[in-house]
Amino acid sequence: MRVQLFATCLVDTFFPETGEACVRLLKHFGVETAYPRGQTCCGKPPNSAGYAREVKLAATRFIEVFDGSDAIVVPSGSCASMIRNHYPELFRDDTRMAAKAQAVAARTFELTQFLVNKLEAHKAGLKGRGKITYHSSCQLRRELGVKEEPLSLLQSLQGVEFVPLPSEDRCCGFGGMFMAKLPEVSMAMADEKAASIVETGAEVVTGCDHGCLMNISDALRRRGAAVQAKHIAQVLAEEL
Amino acid sequence: MIGIKSSLAFRENAAEAVRDSSLRSAMRTATDTFTQLRSAGMASFPMDEWRDRASEIRLNVLNSLPDYLDEFSRNATRVGAVVHRARDAEAARDIVYHLLKDRGARKIVKAKSMVTEEIHLNQHLEVRGMEVVETDLGEYIVQIAGEAPSHILAPAIHKNRRQVGRLFQEKLGVEYSDDPKVLTGIARRVLRNEFLTADAGISGANFAIAGTGSLALFTNEGNGRMVTTVPPLHIAVLTIEKIIPTLADFASFVRLLPRSATGQPLSSYLSIITGTRKPGEATGARELHIVLVDNGRTEILRGECREILKCIRCSACMNVCPVYRVIGGHAYGSTYPGPMGIVLTVLLDGMENAHPVLDASTLCGACAEVCPVRVPLVKLMNLLRERRVEAGFTQSAERTFMAGYGMAVRSPKLFGLGQTLSRFLWPLLERVPGNMTLPRLPKPVKSTFKRRMSGQ
Amino acid sequence: MSDLVETFMRRAINMAAGVTLVNGEGELGQAVATLLSPEDAIYCPASTALEKGLTLPAESLTEDYSAASITVEEVFGAIAETGTIVCSSQGGKPLQAGLLPSRHCAILPESRIFATFEDFFATLGADLPTNITLISGPSRTADIELTLTVGVHGPERLDVIVVQE
Repeated sequence: MRVQLFATCLVDTFFPETGEACVRLLKHFGVETAYPRGQTCCGKPPNSAGYAREVKLAATRFIEVFDGSDAIVVPSGSCASMIRNHYPELFRDDTRMAAKAQAVAARTFELTQFLVNKLEAHKAGLKGRGKITYHSSCQLRRELGVKEEPLSLLQSLQGVEFVPLPSEDRCCGFGGMFMAKLPEVSMAMADEKAASIVETGAEVVTGCDHGCLMNISDALRRRGAAVQAKHIAQVLAEEL
Repeated sequence: MIGIKSSLAFRENAAEAVRDSSLRSAMRTATDTFTQLRSAGMASFPMDEWRDRASEIRLNVLNSLPDYLDEFSRNATRVGAVVHRARDAEAARDIVYHLLKDRGARKIVKAKSMVTEEIHLNQHLEVRGMEVVETDLGEYIVQIAGEAPSHILAPAIHKNRRQVGRLFQEKLGVEYSDDPKVLTGIARRVLRNEFLTADAGISGANFAIAGTGSLALFTNEGNGRMVTTVPPLHIAVLTIEKIIPTLADFASFVRLLPRSATGQPLSSYLSIITGTRKPGEATGARELHIVLVDNGRTEILRGECREILKCIRCSACMNVCPVYRVIGGHAYGSTYPGPMGIVLTVLLDGMENAHPVLDASTLCGACAEVCPVRVPLVKLMNLLRERRVEAGFTQSAERTFMAGYGMAVRSPKLFGLGQTLSRFLWPLLERVPGNMTLPRLPKPVKSTFKRRMSGQ
Repeated sequence: MSDLVETFMRRAINMAAGVTLVNGEGELGQAVATLLSPEDAIYCPASTALEKGLTLPAESLTEDYSAASITVEEVFGAIAETGTIVCSSQGGKPLQAGLLPSRHCAILPESRIFATFEDFFATLGADLPTNITLISGPSRTADIELTLTVGVHGPERLDVIVVQE
């Protein structure tokens, strides 16, 4: 099996280890990863901010670059949802592009969605380390409907003590541009999230979205907490 | 009224609000309690089915609103009410004022009504020498504090018991107590006298039933019943989209509204008021005037955001909103806070007066998840953000960033250049005074994933 | 007891009403008596057969419900779905009598219990009485710190006596 990997701009710019972890993970399950070099961004930032023209530019580029028929795997719930749920309606007025967008959307999966539903990775006896808790990102959960997959993966990890996070589904305050536009509010929200994470006693907080994890990591740092924020790809690939 | 905030100052209001630790604590308690109660109250009921049905009924009403309004007016008139149509806030205020003035009414008791806040009715009457007494406990508290309500169901939710105790001590001259039972008892005593001596009662209505010309009022305290049955004159003010076609349809909302709002199967009282006192009856106002307020709704109905008019004012959306939780209601600078407030405020007050409140959301979707009538709140907020960009109410830094983004996203080379540039400029940009974003982010790496995948 | 009565009673208790089940007028009188105390000023409309059949202490009776400490009256009906009683202005009943005093004793014939709101609304024609009030438990508020307080502008105690025929 072969997939195309859309690394996402956050992974490319700030967290390349997550991209590497994805490749390692997929390889472990016998999946070859193709990395279309022309990839840039899915268009989520301008989409949230209301810049319709820029969203279309990003989406058009993405659809061109990810031409093909293999599944597209994305280590981000918000990006995967952007592609799956928003791309088709972007090209409402252009039948040709709409069909292409629909085809791309149907092939796109968030990482844990793919791992569990296509590869049954939660039954593979993966190994891990430490006491881990999980933050359930908003678009991942509410737009993609991915709620159980990350949990089944984490709970299947041998050597990991999983602790549930109270209010795991409450927004951490990242919201893309939101964190820059209302920084005080964003920090207050992130701080509440960090407080509940610290209370679990976990050593690591994981999630499927680097946007959230960046924001949470900053809040943990400001609290002086020793908890690490790690993308689920890295957690799952740790012992490979 | 003192300390009323403006929507245009939303960003500053919000920053100030998060620093107010007693507000933060009150909001945490309130929103946690409301959401827990709501969850418990909804468990084991076919919520999806109920919500679909309710959404359908509301859409049906919106699709034929003028007809339903006519039907309501006809039936209400038939049973003795006088129905007035007010195009805007000013017209509504005038109608109410003249009704009261013509009857020499000096003291008016009020049951909670968000539209009367929206049209600033109280002030209008007070500066003309009338005494308006709010009788909903939360409204009474904010009234004597000189503040605006901060939540559409529990107006004084931003205050803790000690603050209420001090307020009563200062304004009512009573002994200080922070026991809610004692404080409620004080309000009960004071307000009972007001009910019995008022010349008129003003209320809102949760719904108006077209088929029978009835008004429906949900309350827990009993003040709604007092206000609408004790004084000889009852004036009901409501916005036009509150119509429900029939009693049979209304049953769906009787089930849904209290549960969605507070988790209760029903509020303590639900009054269905149909016209004036009839021959042989011993209950009912002698005179009932119903003021149907448009104030921009017809305009909204014609537009792309019309689904916001399905809203039944349950407050579930603000109770789950993670932003409302940390900033409270006053920061929005509007009658309506929280998610439904963001949409309605921009539509009612106009982009030029309210556009900053569009930022009060991470688009997390918790609101749309709980809305009992399936208002697509996230979609509407996103749509209004697009309109905001088209209208030019954006900051130049953001526009510049997006222009650069538009170029870079199409060209991997430019994208890479942008990454390299930001990496070099990072130390400088981080130190820009007031930059609260960059210090919170990690530094861009030299060895990007793309470089690694290219064997670099 | 029928399922309908059982459902009504269970849900009414859940809404913090006091609920008793009696068989016939004799037991009704006793049940009402247990709710009264010598200091009470009692208002009773004495308009329905059940109301007229009550033997209430004459010296405690008052015609002024705004000065009464308890109102004892037969109500229009009830809705089992939420344990709610229904008061109606039909026939000249002053609804304020069940609102102003601090206690309300509602006499409810079993035959007047409806299962759902729809069932109840279906019995109303096109011409409604001026005021129909659905009452679920005592008056309450949670406006201060969301702490529940009972007895605000309405009764702090609601007792329902279901009369089985």
